[in-house]
Amino acid sequence: MEVLPIVIPLAILLALCFIGGFIWMTMKGQYDDLETPAMRMLLDQKEVKKTPLEITEDKLDPNKD
Amino acid sequence: MNRCTHCDEDILIPIYSDLDKDHKEPFCCNGCLTVFNVINMKGLNQYYEIKKSSDIFKRRSPVETKHQRFSYMDAPEFVAEYSYLNLKKQRTMEFYLEGIHCLACLWLIEKLPEFLADVETARLDMQKSVATISVKSEGRFSSVARELNNLGYKPHPLKRNQSTHDFRKKEDRKMLLKIGIAGAGAGNIMLYAVSNYAGAPVNLSKIFNVISMIFAMPVFFYSATPFYQTAWNALKNKTLSIDVPIAMSLIMGVIMGVYNLITGVPDNYFDSLTALVFLLLLSRYFLNKIQNDGLTANDLNFFYEGNSVLKKEGSGFVEIHPQFLRAGDIIKVGSNEMIPADGKILEGESLINSSLLTGESRPENVKADSEVFSGTINLTNEILISVERTKEDSRIGKILKAVESGWLQKSHIVDLTNMISKYFTAAVLLLSGALFVYMYSHGTAHAALDKALTLLIVTCPCAMALATPMTLTRTLSRSSRKGMIIKNNEVIEKLSHIDTVFLDKTGTVTYGMLKVDTFNILKQPQISVYSIITSLEKFSTHPVATALKEFAVTMDKTADLDVQNYIEVPGIGVKGEINGRIYEIRNGKIFENDEVVASFSLLDHIRPDSQQAVKNLQSMNVNVAMISGDQKEIVQAIATDAGIKKDNMHSEMSPEQKLAMIEKTPHSLMVGDGANDAMALSRSYVSVAVLGSLDISLRAADIYLTTAGIAHIPDLITISKETMKVIKRNLILSALYNLLSVYAAFAGFISPLTAAIIMPVSSLTVLISTLIGTKKLNRILVKKERQ
Repeated sequence: MEVLPIVIPLAILLALCFIGGFIWMTMKGQYDDLETPAMRMLLDQKEVKKTPLEITEDKLDPNKD
Repeated sequence: MNRCTHCDEDILIPIYSDLDKDHKEPFCCNGCLTVFNVINMKGLNQYYEIKKSSDIFKRRSPVETKHQRFSYMDAPEFVAEYSYLNLKKQRTMEFYLEGIHCLACLWLIEKLPEFLADVETARLDMQKSVATISVKSEGRFSSVARELNNLGYKPHPLKRNQSTHDFRKKEDRKMLLKIGIAGAGAGNIMLYAVSNYAGAPVNLSKIFNVISMIFAMPVFFYSATPFYQTAWNALKNKTLSIDVPIAMSLIMGVIMGVYNLITGVPDNYFDSLTALVFLLLLSRYFLNKIQNDGLTANDLNFFYEGNSVLKKEGSGFVEIHPQFLRAGDIIKVGSNEMIPADGKILEGESLINSSLLTGESRPENVKADSEVFSGTINLTNEILISVERTKEDSRIGKILKAVESGWLQKSHIVDLTNMISKYFTAAVLLLSGALFVYMYSHGTAHAALDKALTLLIVTCPCAMALATPMTLTRTLSRSSRKGMIIKNNEVIEKLSHIDTVFLDKTGTVTYGMLKVDTFNILKQPQISVYSIITSLEKFSTHPVATALKEFAVTMDKTADLDVQNYIEVPGIGVKGEINGRIYEIRNGKIFENDEVVASFSLLDHIRPDSQQAVKNLQSMNVNVAMISGDQKEIVQAIATDAGIKKDNMHSEMSPEQKLAMIEKTPHSLMVGDGANDAMALSRSYVSVAVLGSLDISLRAADIYLTTAGIAHIPDLITISKETMKVIKRNLILSALYNLLSVYAAFAGFISPLTAAIIMPVSSLTVLISTLIGTKKLNRILVKKERQ
C-alpha cells in the first residue's frame, strides 16, 4: 500500500496526458472524417509518385514532425 | 439477375462491348459502357478489381452520359467565388460527385494526380461524396471537371461558405471533446469507485472520493451542458422533455456528492452519473451524425442551378455559370439541355419537356415569342432565349420559396419518448415526495431528504434516454445503406401513422420517358425496318426518335446506312432517301415510297415493380392514390395498370390543387419527383423524393430514395412500424429497471453500489434489445446486398 502515493499521481498524470492528446487531436481535425481513412488504408499506395497526398484541410504537415 | 459491371444496378436488357465476344461483362446502359471503356483506356482497370473485392458503400445509379461544358469554370469570377487557397497556397475547389459508390471510387478519385497533369492533390470524403481537389498553378478546374465527368462522376462545384462550414466543423469538434472528456472522466472515476466498493480503508476512500470529484467536475460542468440547455428550453416552453429528469439527476448528484464529501459521508454517485453522461452524449452524437450525412438543404443549391449556359456577348457566345445570369441577357440553349431562366424565345423552334414543372408528359411545341420557364428541358433544336426573370423571380424560384415556407409550417410531433417523459418526471417527483414524507415520519428530516434526493438521482431515465437514439441510429444508418436516406428521425415515427399514399405518375410509377409499346411490321421493306430506324433517326433527338432507336438496337442487328435529302419537320417526323427509296417516319407509322410498312405506338411504361409495391401497400391497409398533372386518359391507363382504385385517380392537377388535396389528408405520404410536386411534398405529413428528382423536390422531401421507382415505399412503412416496436420494447424494459430502483429506495437498500449496478445493466439490456431488432426489420435492413 505504500506505493499508492506514487502510483495514484502517476495514474492521474497519465490520464491527463491522454486527455490532452485527445483535445489536441480533435482540434487538429484528426476526427473530421472517420469514414474515408479507414477505407484509404486498404488501397495499395506503392505506385503513388513523389508527391505524397496531403491533408489539405488541416494544418498537420506529416513531413514536419 | 445480372448486375451491371460498372454501376451494379440490376439489368433488364444487358448490352455488351464489341470487344467482349463471350458476353462476360454486361452493362445496363451505354453510359456505363462508355465509362468502362474510358477507365480501361487510361489503364485504370484495377478499379474493377478493387470494386469486386469490396463492399458496396452507397448505391449508385447508371451513368448518364451527357454532353457537358465546363469551360465556365475557368472564368476568373467563377474561380474567385468557388475556389480558395488551401494551406499550401494551392488553388482548391470542392466538388460534390454523383455516383460515389465503393472503395474503388476512392481509389480512382485519389489517383487523379497521377493521370491528370492539372491536379496537384485530390482527396475524397466518401461519407459526404465531396472531393477536395487542388490544381497546379497553371492547372484548370474545367479539365478536372471534364475528367471526373468522363469517369462517370458528375461533378457539381460547391461554393464553400467559409463561415458556416467552419462553424459546423467547430461545433462537431466541440461535441467530440465533450464526449471524450466525459469518457475519460467516467473511466478514471470508475477506477476509484471500484476500489471503494471493494472496501478501501476509510483514509484512502476519502482521497479516492476527492479525486473522483475532481474528475467529475469537467464532466458535469462542461460535457453535460447540452442537457441543461435542452432541459431549460423545455421548461421555458412549459413542456417536459426527457432531458428534464436527466438534468435534475445530474444537478442533484453534484449537490449531494459535494455536500457528502464536505460532511464526510462516503456516498456519491459520480461514477454512475458520469458514465451516463458519456453514453448519452455518444448515442446522440451518432444519431446526429447519421442525419447530417444525408443531403442537407444547404448542399442542394447546385442541383437547381445546373451547369453552364451560353450567353451572347458581342457576336459570339461565352460560357457562364447560371448564377451570373441577368435579365436582358440572350442565351443559347442546345438540345437536351435544361433552360436556366424564364424568358421568351427569340429564334428557333423546338419541343419542350415541362414534365418536371407541370407534370405534363407530352412535349410542348414552342417557337419564336413563346414563353419558356426555367427547369424545363429543351428537347430537339437549339433556341435563343431572351432572359426575363432569373433565380428567385422565376416560376421555379417562386415554387422554391413556397417550399421553404412550407417546410417551416410543417407539423412537428412530440415523439414517444418525450411524451412518456412527461408522466415519468411527474411520477418521479411524486414518489420522491412520498418517500420524503414516509422517511420523515420514521426518522429525521436529514435522513428523509437524503433518501428523497437519492431516489431522484437513481431514477434518472438513462436507459430510456438511450433507447430511442440508439434504435433510430441503427435504423437510419442501415436504411441509408439500402438507398433510403431519411433526413430526420421524426419521420420514422410519423411513417408509422401513414394511412394514405399519394403517388406522382411521371418518373415515379413510370420510367418518365417514352418507350415502344407495340410494333407491327405490316410488310417487309427492302432493307430491315430496324436499319431504317437507325439510319433515318440518327440525327434526331426527338423523344420518339430516341425511343425508336433504343428499341431497334435491342431487336436486331442494325446497319447504319447513308441518308440523302434528309429533312426533319418539327412536330411531324423525319424523311430521307436510302438506296434510292424514300423512307419516312411519322404519326406512328413507317413508310417506304409512301407505302406503310410498319406501325408502332409509344407509351411511358410503368415500372415493373410498381404493381407489386401498390399491392403491398394495399395489403397494409394503406389507401393508394395517384395524383398527377397529366391528362386524364394517360393517368387512368397507368393507374389502372398499377392496380390503383378508380376513385383514387386524380389527373390534370396543378401544383396548387395537389397541395390542397394533401392538406385535406392529415396522415398522407406523398411520393414525387418534379417541381410540380414540390409544394405538396413540402406540406405532406411525410414526403419521399425518388431518384432523378429535381433538387427542389429533394429539398422538400423528408426521405430521398437513391433507387428509382416506388418499390421501397412499403419497406419504409414496415421499417417504421418495426422500429417503433423496438423503441416501445426498449421503453418498457427501461421503465422496469426504474421501477426496480424505486422499489429499492423504498425498501431501504439503495446505495451508490446498487445504482452502479442497475444503471449499466439497464443500458446494456436496451442496447442488446436494439441490436436484436425484430425479425421483419432485419429482413429488410440486414439482408445481404448480394446473395
